[in-house]
This record gives sequence, structure tokens and C-alpha cells, in this order.
Amino acid sequence: MKIVAITACPTGIAHTYMAAARLEKVAKNFGHEIKVETQGAMGIENKLTESDIRQAQIAIFAVDIEVEGRERFNGVKVIQVPLQDALKNPETIFSKIQR
Amino acid sequence: MTKGAHTSLELTFQCPLESGLHARPASHLAEVANRFSSQCSVTNLRNGLLANAKSVLNIIAADIRFQDRCVLVISGPDEQSAHPALLQFIENVLPQCDVPLAEAPTSSNVAIIPRQLQAAGVICIAGIPVSRGIAQGKIKVLDKITLPRNIDSPVAVDPEIELSRLKEAITAVRARISEKLKYAVTPLGVAVLQANLAMAGDVSLLERITQAVLQGKSVAQAVVEACELFVDLFLHSENDYVRQRSADVEEICFQLLEEVGGIQLSPPLELTEPSVVVAEALAPQQILGLNRQWLKALVLENSATTSHAAILARSLGIPTVAAVRNAHLLLTSGREVLVDGDRGIVIPTINASVRRFYDREQTTLKLRRERGLQQALEIASTTDRRKLEVAANATSAEETEAALENGADGIGLFRTEMIFLGRDEPPSEEEQFTIYSEAAKAAAGRPVIIRTFDIGGDKKVPYLNHAEEDNPFLGYRGVRLYAEHQDLLLSQLRAILRASEFGAIQIMAPMVSSVSEVLQFKEFISRAQQQLRDAGSPFKVGIPIGIMIEVPAAAFIIDQLSPEVDFFSIGTNDLSQYFFAADRTNPKVSSLLSVREPAYLRLLSHIVESARKSKKWIGMCGEMASDLDLLPLLVGLGLDEISITSSEIPEFKRSIAELDSTACAELFQRALRCQTKEEAESLLPGHASPTTRPLLTEDLILIDSLSQTKAEVIQEMVDAFYVSGRTNHRHVLEEALWAREALGSTEVGYGFAIPHCKSDALTANSICVLRLREPIDWNSAHPERVRMVILLALRESDRQNTHMQVFSSLARKLINDDFRHSLLAFKDSAATKNFLARELDL
Repeated sequence: MKIVAITACPTGIAHTYMAAARLEKVAKNFGHEIKVETQGAMGIENKLTESDIRQAQIAIFAVDIEVEGRERFNGVKVIQVPLQDALKNPETIFSKIQR
Repeated sequence: MTKGAHTSLELTFQCPLESGLHARPASHLAEVANRFSSQCSVTNLRNGLLANAKSVLNIIAADIRFQDRCVLVISGPDEQSAHPALLQFIENVLPQCDVPLAEAPTSSNVAIIPRQLQAAGVICIAGIPVSRGIAQGKIKVLDKITLPRNIDSPVAVDPEIELSRLKEAITAVRARISEKLKYAVTPLGVAVLQANLAMAGDVSLLERITQAVLQGKSVAQAVVEACELFVDLFLHSENDYVRQRSADVEEICFQLLEEVGGIQLSPPLELTEPSVVVAEALAPQQILGLNRQWLKALVLENSATTSHAAILARSLGIPTVAAVRNAHLLLTSGREVLVDGDRGIVIPTINASVRRFYDREQTTLKLRRERGLQQALEIASTTDRRKLEVAANATSAEETEAALENGADGIGLFRTEMIFLGRDEPPSEEEQFTIYSEAAKAAAGRPVIIRTFDIGGDKKVPYLNHAEEDNPFLGYRGVRLYAEHQDLLLSQLRAILRASEFGAIQIMAPMVSSVSEVLQFKEFISRAQQQLRDAGSPFKVGIPIGIMIEVPAAAFIIDQLSPEVDFFSIGTNDLSQYFFAADRTNPKVSSLLSVREPAYLRLLSHIVESARKSKKWIGMCGEMASDLDLLPLLVGLGLDEISITSSEIPEFKRSIAELDSTACAELFQRALRCQTKEEAESLLPGHASPTTRPLLTEDLILIDSLSQTKAEVIQEMVDAFYVSGRTNHRHVLEEALWAREALGSTEVGYGFAIPHCKSDALTANSICVLRLREPIDWNSAHPERVRMVILLALRESDRQNTHMQVFSSLARKLINDDFRHSLLAFKDSAATKNFLARELDL
């Protein structure tokens, strides 16, 4: 499955990046292809392109704040979870997706 | 201060004192006014209040604040001699007659209750931090003496006899205060007692009492009524400072009452063990009467941070918390309590949690102090090893000694005017020799730059008989006087030369504007040397001779001056006002004169570059050097030395050690190209820090911590920042961390937590690592316990994101099992630091 994701936390110093790494690692274990955009203190990194989003079957927003550029995902299936879930129980998120 | 407009016998002036014309300066004014029999009144043009200038109490009630315009009216038989005396006082003495006050511990004026104590359920009574320090002792409640409404006895006898008793009482009270004055140790203690002394003889108070006695009242009853009148007057003032003075009036009146037998005052409190004195309010003399050996702390119900009690407590270093409501009810005599004057709290029950918190606090404070001092003992150098001497300004051997204790590399400006001022005869050579040689000895081999007298301008002495000048600052002062007063200069030079036998003395001339002045000055030095040789007095040959650069003309002939002198010192105060042609005491133009103006920075740049080309040592004294915010510019300017207020030295040395001289030089060059001072200002740190302190150092890696709660862990980490000088505002940093915690737990699984914040309470971006011996609960909602805490702290104003890359890379690596296991396994800080530095490319 092709997945896109966004991580963002209030200060954008630590959790944004750790959650991104965690999602990338677990997605790989599940056999998915994932691209994670981080919205942190350094601004938007690894930005999702229009074609990234168009090709994805699902988008995961693991965020504790408002996502920047949400309109890019019009027409895409989005699953939004608290950032902690991506850190602590990413497996649950992916199991949910598969069902 | 603006100059007086001399219409008839009026004098207009603007109050030059930042704290206003309060009790201490008012007592000086009243003292001058009382030398004459003429009537003398002062009207505050801001509020229209009129006061008898001979009465301290009256002057205080007029509530004269900083820059209030006032008019002094003098009329009477000796008005012709009173006028110049008062003019001289207003112009020359008043601006300098306030003693600088020690600062209150925090500007916020609120109590800080430590999270850790809060979490442990410790009761903290909150007040306002008034005087720094932490102390413990048994409570002694000092009851407030209340003023009796009516005095039944002794009954009034003959008014004549009553009045003579009043006179005796005043004499006795004044004698008692004078006696205390002999033992007052701090300048502030002296000033407070002098104000009390003036109040005890106040003409308005005396007038009131006399009137009542003449109406048939007993002197005791008359004192009570007069006291009520003034207390009432003060308490109705809108100015908190004036309201506080009611305590001083009451104390004086109590003492008068006691003398005339009106009341029996309780004997002064005897302290026999470590004590915390609790009182509604304390009069200054009550504090000075307490045994300092046992007085450990003060707790006041009164809210005044400007009360004389609060001010005195600060100058004596007695930890004090004020504004503790119902303190005498909450704190009962005999109870052992802890007073935290840094945070403004009183802890009535000292249990294990309290001891645990304050044991660590003591260690933290001790480590921070030791680190500061150790740094201060060496010559400060920037991260790229450029040295900058930090010297102190001083006027006496005592100040020199204190400066050395603070880590001064020398005395960059030893002012000598004070020795010449405020006396009828010039000081003798011997008297001066004693002062200079004591200072040289106190400096223990470090250089002492003695500046020959800079009299004139705003500093006048009677024995030189100088005529009034329209523009004293542009007139006869400094080196310009020396030809006329050769004997005075020669005697000072002989004293300095003889003292040079006892240390590394250097001589510096003030107000030089031409080469010929330097040549003449050196000629005087040669003559003084010859005189000493003739007299067979020993002195050191070839001591360095330098000049102040404070007249713009001198700034442009540095190349010509250089062959004649050994060193230069930039005097920024006068240089800036001469350069901008703006009087810094005139509020209408003072804003023109800013040392942040690019024009001024260019002047400095020219001076320092010229001195460099001539290979001469160049320092800076004056206010600009003492401004910590400007330090990066001064480092960038390329000075050899700055001479500052001695208490600031540890902070300056710490800051220098965090600066990169190349970055500072670039910063300075950018400032030179700015168009406005605001633009130059925006380049200073807080906006873009040139700090290049490493992100991670061993002292920020705490292995095997014994902390038991999250609050304690955060406190311990913040303390590590404080000890290493990475924050000067622990509480602000701590609250920034807690603000992030409030948004959601920073626990990330695997037994790790990553608390983090952005805050300008930091002096540098930092990573702090703490490994617990026993895991703790980080968040009650998650059962997983935390063993490893990695704190990421970023300066709020750091817009360069230089370290964010490292932070994000560290966060990503925590996903990696091997990375985490390694962190949990290292046996010490060094190994952990090396590992992280390697992994994160630091």
C-alpha cells in the first residue's frame, strides 16, 4: 500500500521527528511504502508533492496541532490520530488501515 | 538637571534622582536650608504641593519624583547668601547624594513556589522576595508598638517646662541615633540613620509639638498628636514610597515619647539563637538594633519593597520576605522555619521533602558560585581564545579588595576626585600616599590605573576658588587646571609615585585634547620625580603613563599621542556627550546621545584601530563598558580591557567565555553599516546570538540520578543549566518546560522521555541527559516508567535553526534499538558524551 503521512507537535522540536521515524520504520515492517512530511520547528520538510498525494491510498495525520495545507488532501482518505499514538502504538494504526 | 533660571531669589530645578527626593536626599536639602535664617520653601510644580524646605517630613510629603520640576523660594535676611549655597547644593551635590540601592531579587514581585515542593504537598507561605538568601531559624515575633491615642500621664505642667523636656528628649534621641551611626557599616545604613537623625530634629514636627504644648497639652500628648498628623498625611499619599515613610516618623515619635515618659517601650529583642524575626513592619533602627550574629532572616507583613527595612535588609544581606499576610498569626514564636528570600516564600514545617529540596539547592548555589569565581580568577577569553581583561572601577583600598575578590584583573580606573571633594582644605601628600599605597597593596600585583584629579565640570571644590561658569562641562576641568594648580598636582603625583613602590601603579590624565597637554603632564611627572629624588624618597622609575580619550579632538590624533604615552582608556560618558553635543542629563536631548548610534560606533572603531596601529594598549571605562548587552560589540571592537562595576565581573567573564570573537567582529562591522541605533540594537544578542557554546558538554550529562519524581528530575536538570551558566533564570526555563508538559506528556516509550522547550532564559542551545538509577513515573496516564530523560532546549530567538538538525536527528535515532541500549549502558558522562558527539556529528 502507498501511504503518505504528516507529523506535527506543538513545539516541533522532538516528537515530530521521532514520530516520523517511527511511522517509517513500522510501515516498512508492514510492507507498506510511506512518505512522511514533518511540520516542525524547521518548517515543512520532506514535503508531500501533488503526485505523492494522488498516488497514495491513505493519508495519516499524526498531529497535535492543525495541519498546514490540509486542502491538498481533498478527496483523499485521511486517518487522524494524536501524535502519541504514532509514537507509542503505530502498529495499531497500520492494523486499522489494513482492515 | 537643568540649570536654574535666576529670577529674584527663586531657583527652579528638575529632580535629578531616579528614586525621587526621598527621605535620605531630603535630609541633605533640609540640612542646607537650615543653615540660614531665611524662609525657604519648595513647590512641586507637578502636583502643586508646597513644602517647607527646612523640614524633611514636609519635603517627603511633597512627593517629588524623578524629573519633577520644582521651584525653591528663599526670602529673609540672609537670602543673598542662602541662594548661592542652595544653588550649589542643587547643582553639584543633589545629583550625587543618593546611595545606589541593592536590587530586589526579582523584578516580578511574586513568590515562586517550587513545583517539587508543591507536588510533595509542602505548605509554602507566599510573600514577596525582598532580600536574597535562604536561612533557617526559630521564629521571634516582634510586636508592633501601637501609638496610644491619649496620654493620661504625665499631665501637663508649665509649657516652659514641657518645652524644655521636649528639647532634652530631642537631644537624647539624636544622640542615640548618632551613637548608632558610629557603628553603621554600609553606606546605606549611614544614609538611613542620617535621614532618621534629620527627622528627629525636623522643624515642622517641632513646630507642631510646640503649638500643642502652648495650647496647654503635655509634651507627650503633643508628640502623639504630631505623630498622628504626619502619619496620616503620609498614609494618604498616592505614592507607595511616601506611605512607607510613616514607619520612620512613628519610630522617631516613639523614641521621643519614651524620653518624655509617655510610654514604656519594650526592651529591644534579645536574640540568643539562630532566629527569624517576624514583624508587621520594622523601623530601620529596630533592625540595626538586632544582634546580627543570630538574626538569620526577616519576615514582614508589610508589602513595601521600598521600606527602609527592606532596603537595609538587602544592604546587610539578610534574607527577607515581605507582604506575608497575617505572618504573626501563621508563624508562632519558637517554631523552626525556613525563609527563602530568593523565591519569596516561608516554609513553616521543615520535613524530609523540604530538606531534600534545600540540600540540593545549597549544593547548586555553591557550585554555581564556585564556577563563577573560578572563571573570574583567570583572564577571560572568548571561545576562540581572544583575551579581554575585565578590570574594576574603584575609589579606595576597600573597593579594590572587593574588586579582586570578584575576580578583577586590575583597577582600570581609580578615581581620585572624591579625595578632593567635600572639604575645605586640599588633602595632604601623606593622606594621599596612604590611600594609593593601600590600594596598590590590595591589588596584589595587578595593575591599578590611578587617574589624577578631574575636578571642575560638575565637581567643584571650595579651595580652588573657581568662578561660576556658564558651561562647566565645556570649561575649566581635568588636565586644564593643572598649570594653575601645579602644587596640588605635584603633591598628588609625588603621592602616586611613592605608592608605586607597593604595586603595579599606572598614571592616567583626564580630559586631554592635545599633544602639548600630554607633554606638559609628563613634564610635571618629571618634576615630581626630581622632587622625590631630592628628598631621598624611593619611587618606581618608568611606570606606565596614559591618558583618557574623552574629548573628540584627542580621538583624531591618536597617532601623534601614541609616541608620548603607554596606554589609552576611552571614557565613554564624556566622550559621548561631547561627540553628540548633547547634555546627557537634559531629557530633551539626552536621547540623541546613544552609544548604539552608528556614528559613535564609528568613532570608537577609529580610536581603537588607531591605537592598534600604534601598538598601544587600549581600554574602556564608563557606563558603556558596564552594559552587558553591548558586550558582543565591545569584544568585536577589539579592546584590550574593559573597566566596570566590580560586582558585575563574574557575569561579564562568564559571558565573554561564551562569545566568539570573529562572530563579534563581524557583528561590529555590521553595526557600523547600520543607519539607526535601533537597527544596530537589533543586531545584538537576544536577536541573533554570536554564542558558539557547544550544544552538549559533560556537565550536562547526569548519570545515576537519585531523583524520585518528575518535578525533581526537571529541577535537577534546570539546576545543571544554572550551574554551567546556561541559564540565569532557572524559574523561567523551568516554567517553559512545564508549559510543554501541559500540552501532553513528553514520554515517548521505551522508558525514554524528551522534555523540551524554546526559551530565551537560555544563554545557549543545549542538550541535557539524565539517567535515573531507579525508573520513575513520568505520566500517571501511561504505565510505562521512565529511566532516561533527554532534554532539548533551544533559544527562542535563535532563528538560524542550526541546532534543530541535531535535535531532529537525535529524535529519529531514538527509534533505533541499539542507539537506546547504548545510552542506557554507559558507565559515565564522558563515555555518553563521546558517543552522542559521534552519533550526532557534533
